[in-house]
Amino acid sequence: MSIRNLELRARTVVEGFWHGLHRSPYHGFSVEFSEYRPYAPGDDPRYLDWKLVGRTDRYFIKKFEDETNLRAYLLTDTSRSMSFGSRGVTKLDYARTLAATLAYFLAQQGDATGLLTFDETVREYLPARHRPGHLRHLMLALERPAEGRSTDLAAPLRRVAELVRKRGLVVLISDLLAPAEALAAPLALLTAARHEVIVLQVLDPAELTFDFADPARFVDVETGRDLFIDPALARKNYSAQFDAHLAAIRATCQQLGITHLQLTTTQPLELALFDFLKARSARGKLVRRRVAA
Amino acid sequence: MNFLAPLFALGALAVVGPILFHLIRRTTKEQTPFSTLMFLQPTPPRVTRRSRLENPWLLLLRCLAVALLALGFARPFFKSELPGAAKAVGAGRRVVILVDASASMRREELWDEARAKADEVLRKTTPADEVALLAFDGTVRTLVSFDEWKTLPPDDRAPSAAQRLDALAPGWAATHLDAALIHAAELLEQPSKAELKPAEIVVISDLQEGATLDALQGYGWPKMVTVKLEPVRAQHAENASVSWVSESDESETPSEDAPLRLRVTNAAESKREQFPVRWSQTTDASAEVAAYVPAGQSRIVRAPKQPERATSLTLSGDDTAFDNTAFVLPPPPVKVPLLFIGEDADDDTHASLYYLRRAFPKTRRQSVEVSAHRAATSVPAFQLQQAQLLVLGENSADAPLASARQFARDGRIVIAPLTSGASAQAVARLLEMPQFSATEAAVKDYALLAQIDFQHPVFAAFADPRFSDFTKIHFWKWRRFDAAALPGAKILARFDSGDPAIVQVPLGKGSVVIFASSWRPSDSQLALSSKFVPLLQALLDQSSNAPAQKAQYFVGDEVPLPADPAELQVRKPDGTEVVAAAGAKFAGTDQPGIYAVTPGTRRFVVNLAPDESRTTPLPLARFTALGVPLPSAATEAHPPSPEQLAQRQAAELEGQQKLWRRLIIGALGVLLLETLIAGKLSRTVRSSTTATA
Repeated sequence: MSIRNLELRARTVVEGFWHGLHRSPYHGFSVEFSEYRPYAPGDDPRYLDWKLVGRTDRYFIKKFEDETNLRAYLLTDTSRSMSFGSRGVTKLDYARTLAATLAYFLAQQGDATGLLTFDETVREYLPARHRPGHLRHLMLALERPAEGRSTDLAAPLRRVAELVRKRGLVVLISDLLAPAEALAAPLALLTAARHEVIVLQVLDPAELTFDFADPARFVDVETGRDLFIDPALARKNYSAQFDAHLAAIRATCQQLGITHLQLTTTQPLELALFDFLKARSARGKLVRRRVAA
Repeated sequence: MNFLAPLFALGALAVVGPILFHLIRRTTKEQTPFSTLMFLQPTPPRVTRRSRLENPWLLLLRCLAVALLALGFARPFFKSELPGAAKAVGAGRRVVILVDASASMRREELWDEARAKADEVLRKTTPADEVALLAFDGTVRTLVSFDEWKTLPPDDRAPSAAQRLDALAPGWAATHLDAALIHAAELLEQPSKAELKPAEIVVISDLQEGATLDALQGYGWPKMVTVKLEPVRAQHAENASVSWVSESDESETPSEDAPLRLRVTNAAESKREQFPVRWSQTTDASAEVAAYVPAGQSRIVRAPKQPERATSLTLSGDDTAFDNTAFVLPPPPVKVPLLFIGEDADDDTHASLYYLRRAFPKTRRQSVEVSAHRAATSVPAFQLQQAQLLVLGENSADAPLASARQFARDGRIVIAPLTSGASAQAVARLLEMPQFSATEAAVKDYALLAQIDFQHPVFAAFADPRFSDFTKIHFWKWRRFDAAALPGAKILARFDSGDPAIVQVPLGKGSVVIFASSWRPSDSQLALSSKFVPLLQALLDQSSNAPAQKAQYFVGDEVPLPADPAELQVRKPDGTEVVAAAGAKFAGTDQPGIYAVTPGTRRFVVNLAPDESRTTPLPLARFTALGVPLPSAATEAHPPSPEQLAQRQAAELEGQQKLWRRLIIGALGVLLLETLIAGKLSRTVRSSTTATA
């Protein structure tokens, strides 16, 4: 996080990741698997594999490269709660870098990447594209300072559902510090549109453990409300509630078939990327298995 | 350990404060931002458990500081260090009773009243008390000493002391209260610390304004001594007095003609202003004068002409009679015969005798009679015996010279001015030293006196720089002689050339004073100078060797008596006769009046001291201002209870030990340490919080 330029930071992460990938035992999983599909009436006859028809007299549809290209939307939460960071790195920094990294990574693969930043409303929207300069716009949009106060997850998700007609990948990067019930409906909307949804929940270590030493006035960075808290006393209750919240989110995600990944700001970004890809590959298998069944 | 103010020790309960503050967890004003308060409930600040006391050392220091402060304010002291305090309460007192027996106590019933007061004080004594009874006026007389008191049986002490007081009557002396108080205080000086007893001086006196108190200024009173004043008051405050103002000796008016002067003083409280003063022992109306003196003032009045045999003046018209008589005895002028041996004519203005006759003016004290012996025969024995000074003229024959030699040998002084070289022969014969000679000195302009021995009695009067200028006396002619050849010669003055000018040569019991020049106008300006008369007077005084006499003495003064004859008797005014040694000082002047010395005709007058007439009572503030340890009014009205005494002693001990100072300093030290430690702790806490943030 010591590199100021977001693009450079993302590139560093991804290239290091590539280098590491070549040595890793999972190599090749990232290459899109091309497949033949039996022809069904209504399919574009242009995609028929005529050679196969000539050899075997069977009709199979051959998938084209561009059709396998991913339309990825990075939904980044830039609300005030994201600006909290107890270990030098704020969640917002982490989230931006993560978004930039994913964008760069996807762009490298030739996938179209879109961006939507939001707090209580949608702040920036870039449609998914893959063209020169698009990545740069995306980085600039990410680098704009956050102004929002509160978080409203429902509105951006609904907006994505409206804007993105084509099936794609929706990556939601947020701390999800909002009531879990309010999250269910918009996410269901996305999954109903057959989008592949991945939730990357970015959390600060202090939020997980509440490891403050001295009693103090704790100020809500979003609402400005303050409370006198003795951490030693409040920790247990906090942990219980926070765990319940996480469990609720996890349950919602699982119910909707959404991949939920929990990241802490102390976690290296490479690992985050790795987790992301692993989740995707698992999901891909899952999808295939489902298709096969 | 005991406490002077034990209630302050309750302040130590304030240690609860620091303990409570340590138990309550610190509520900081710092705000910690946090992403959300969704999962938090407010927690009130609460008292932590004992096991969680923060910074126990700091707490200990804070508690210690509070405890030390409380202890300091409680004024602690150690009772064990009190030396002999327990004894002091029950071991009796040491009391000195001072009874005023001065002349002013003769007024009205003052003496009876004083005796009654003394009796009362004596009756109140306990067998444990030690008492000394003193009477004082100008001097202090011990009636009963401490030792005497102790030897008497306890029941007999007070009566016998009172008996001795009854035998006493007030005298005529002045009141020296300061000397009496200091004497009493010295008696009360504690012999050792072990016998520390409260000591008291009871002064029974009329405490008149005229009492001397000057010696008390800055006097260091012994500890534990208090002075209790028991004043006796006269009914009538009005008082006027008369005293004789004796003339100064230099007055030129002959004593018979000069009117006597009297000082009449009137007290400030007086309501009368007119007082007739008259000669006693006469009924003549002309022997009275009325003195008009406003209250609080004094006036000098001229006494009426003294009738025959009258010796005292009496003032009337006031209430107190003891100081209304002034004894007056104008001293008869002493006739001092002075002998001149020589041939000088009485009216020869160029000769020595002419100036000698005029050198001694007639004064109230003396009249010098110069008689010249011109014959070549020896001086008649009676004349030689009466003469007080002898001056040699020119061309003296052997027989008078022999008389002069005898005169000197008897202890007188012979003045021998060298009028010429030949006159040295006379001196040589006088001293019986044939080799003595003188030559006429060669003088250019004039010679001056230099190197004068101002230590010598003859020149002592000129020792003051205002009078020591002899440069105006010019000598045109003088004779040089060898002073070293004269055995035992003392050079009193030299000329500016270094040669001797005035030399004193001892001869028998007396001496010969040789002048190298003379006071004749042809020789010098000496006779015209202002130094001539005092110089001859000094020589005359030294020659006659008579004690200086004052015109009047006061009661208690010492009077010098003539040197001969060996046995003298002094007759006091009341008729008693006292044998006194010749040449000694007579100290028995205990009453006013005319004293006569026999054999001889000498009389002297003793009067009441003028200060004794100032009978206005002294204000108490005067004693306070002089630092006399008077008991406070409260303690006089209500004698302190044993509890109060104990409290006072405790306060004194506490004042001596001053433990509270150390405790406060200790508390300050602890607070300093606490500040240092707390500062260090807060610094480390702050750095740790910034590290975690």
